Amino acid sequence: MSAIGTFCVSVNRQACLNSQMPGKCGTCAEVCPHGVYAFDSQSGQVHIQNYNTCVGCRICAEFCPTDAIRINPAESEYISRYPWTFGVIEEIHHKAQTGSYLLRGFGTQGPTPNFDMITVVPSQIASQPPRDKYREECDMELVIGEDTCEKPMRLKLPFVWPAMSFGALSKEAKMALAIGAAMTGIATNTGEGGMLPEEAYLSRGYEDDSFSFQRWQPGGYLVVQWSTGRWGVSADYVRGGDAVEVKIGQGAKPGMGGHLLGAKVGEEVARVRGIPVGSDALSPCRYYDVQTLDDMKHQVAMLRDVTDYQVPILFKLGPSRPYADVAACIEAGADAISIDGLVGGTGCSPDLVTQGVGIPTIACIPQAVQALKDYGVHRKVKLIALGGIRNGLDAFKALAMGADAVGFGSAAEVAMGCRVCYACHKGNCPYGITSHRPELRARLDPVETGQKLANFIHANAEEVKILTMLSGHNRIADLSTEDLRAMDFNTAALTGLKLAGYDRPLPFWDQWPQSSAGDGSGNGHGQVPNRPVTSEHHRG
Amino acid sequence: MKTINAKELNLRDVNTAIKQQINGHRVIVTDAEHIHGVAAGLKVGDILIQGDSGDYLGMLADGVTIEVTRNAGKYAADNMTRGQLLIQGNAGFGAAQYCYGGTVVIYGGAEDFTGTMNKGATIIVAGDIGDEAATYMLDGQLIVVGNAGFNLANYLIRGAVYIGGEWKSLGHNTHHVPMTNDDESQLRSLFERYGIEADPSRFKKIIAASKKPFYN
Repeated sequence: MSAIGTFCVSVNRQACLNSQMPGKCGTCAEVCPHGVYAFDSQSGQVHIQNYNTCVGCRICAEFCPTDAIRINPAESEYISRYPWTFGVIEEIHHKAQTGSYLLRGFGTQGPTPNFDMITVVPSQIASQPPRDKYREECDMELVIGEDTCEKPMRLKLPFVWPAMSFGALSKEAKMALAIGAAMTGIATNTGEGGMLPEEAYLSRGYEDDSFSFQRWQPGGYLVVQWSTGRWGVSADYVRGGDAVEVKIGQGAKPGMGGHLLGAKVGEEVARVRGIPVGSDALSPCRYYDVQTLDDMKHQVAMLRDVTDYQVPILFKLGPSRPYADVAACIEAGADAISIDGLVGGTGCSPDLVTQGVGIPTIACIPQAVQALKDYGVHRKVKLIALGGIRNGLDAFKALAMGADAVGFGSAAEVAMGCRVCYACHKGNCPYGITSHRPELRARLDPVETGQKLANFIHANAEEVKILTMLSGHNRIADLSTEDLRAMDFNTAALTGLKLAGYDRPLPFWDQWPQSSAGDGSGNGHGQVPNRPVTSEHHRG
Repeated sequence: MKTINAKELNLRDVNTAIKQQINGHRVIVTDAEHIHGVAAGLKVGDILIQGDSGDYLGMLADGVTIEVTRNAGKYAADNMTRGQLLIQGNAGFGAAQYCYGGTVVIYGGAEDFTGTMNKGATIIVAGDIGDEAATYMLDGQLIVVGNAGFNLANYLIRGAVYIGGEWKSLGHNTHHVPMTNDDESQLRSLFERYGIEADPSRFKKIIAASKKPFYN
């Protein structure tokens, strides 16, 4: 973990309650997810046991009743010791002692190519004039499956909560996401861990399963995920959603199935997933019942049939070859495709996969958009960008690059109170978001947190609206790459955006794309695999 | 009794016709080998597929009884939660995967990856079964009268595999235990109910070696 060894913990002993009255307070030792503090039960004193394991989440500082703790970044040491940083040394020691690799939660650490080096181009005199954010309307509604389904999903705002399973998240956190979606008219997602009964009515804005009183307006939507582990999946489950999402992969660990460690598989999770209490729930990395793209087409047709041709079918990818992967989803019959880039979050994943596997979101979007355009379905088959989108500015940039909607996954957890301690997999989340311990879950009130999530969405919507209108548009769908410029070479090279100053794409982008989709020739982008996976493949 | 000839029909037409005619009737479907997902997600009824079936037969079935007079395609009874699927011939690749319940009886042989991630169904194969049968099985049972291929019951977690013949190799986390009287009587009653001629006393039972297989 690269965050290890980059923070210094200091405790003001004059302010510290424990120093004044040993045994009276041990809050920091109780809440720290990484064992920085230790409570000596004999003397009652708290001491710093291992300040080097601090990841800088500052949960201790927040919980400290006397504000006695300061966490100071030690970046200069990190830079001077690179590449043999304390984190690297600790990782090697861990492997040498245990023989096992590191697991952790949340998402990628350290710098990766992201939206920061993209700037928004405002309207001035040479383009269509800007619009007035305060006195004019902006159309932000998004319809998924308009031409293909009898009940398309009409999102009030171009945002979704990405798939986060019950198991990875607590019941209260899932309920808060559903309430947040209902308050803002967006979609929440069951994730792959089965459907909580509460999600079905809360996401639509109803306060109980009688569906008699709609407490939260305008009411949201529930996407049910169809994944490789098929936890808690039945015909009723599939029919219980407003859309079905076929999970191919996720950004934090593309090529691997979901991980839920036994520590988090309590009775309720076990019941919803249909597995033994305390056993690791490791989803297969691929569909055992899909060997070829034709199989996937048949499975999508079957899902449409089971849902009586009412609801859209979504796909979720952690794209590796974004053009070809998105092309395959289009061929399989998707109504919307989520692309989850490198920075995408997770409840638990091997550290090296979260850190070192995948394509950055900003590099996925242009290729995905090109695939959609080559198939003639851009803005018809919707593109949902996920992975490292933190605010309205990131969201606007993704939308202008050609996405139709964005998802806030990690950001939603932070909006619920998370301070990013990377220990989601341990099941001890001090905010009750990723824990199943009753005393921790009690700290998360679903209605109050649902309101926070709704506030977060509304604030982001306003931010997107400001940027849309200052660049001269009144519809999200009218945004284009012309509204953006890359501010450095790397970003221009990865995205094909015009480089600020040079005001055109880098020259090699003229060479791409070379061939149209689906012909399986040329630059290799158009190839869609149709190879069966056999038992020999399974055994290696 | 109603008959649907599926030769000129697509998935939607066939399943719509089945749903319209299934109330209180036995529905017969003919010429359906090109249709993938026949009778998917149905809760009630009794369907006879005359001839071969396509892939994903009875996927997500939730109470319906389906019988195929010849062979079934790939992934028959995929993700079934209740009901019965009887296949008089052979089953294709990956039959009865991801099932939460119900009974699948294959009177012929079955191919690789049969019963993968079974979470509670009873799967009976009267002939031989291919490689990787009952991989990552979480509950339920797989009963094989004939022989099995490589990696039988790989990463078994819960449930049991009963096998009358031999296996080429057993998978990880498997443990070979003697049959009990209860096991034998259970198998005997299943064989009687489904008209399979086999002697339960010669069967072997495989269960999970560890009930909590934690992987690194």
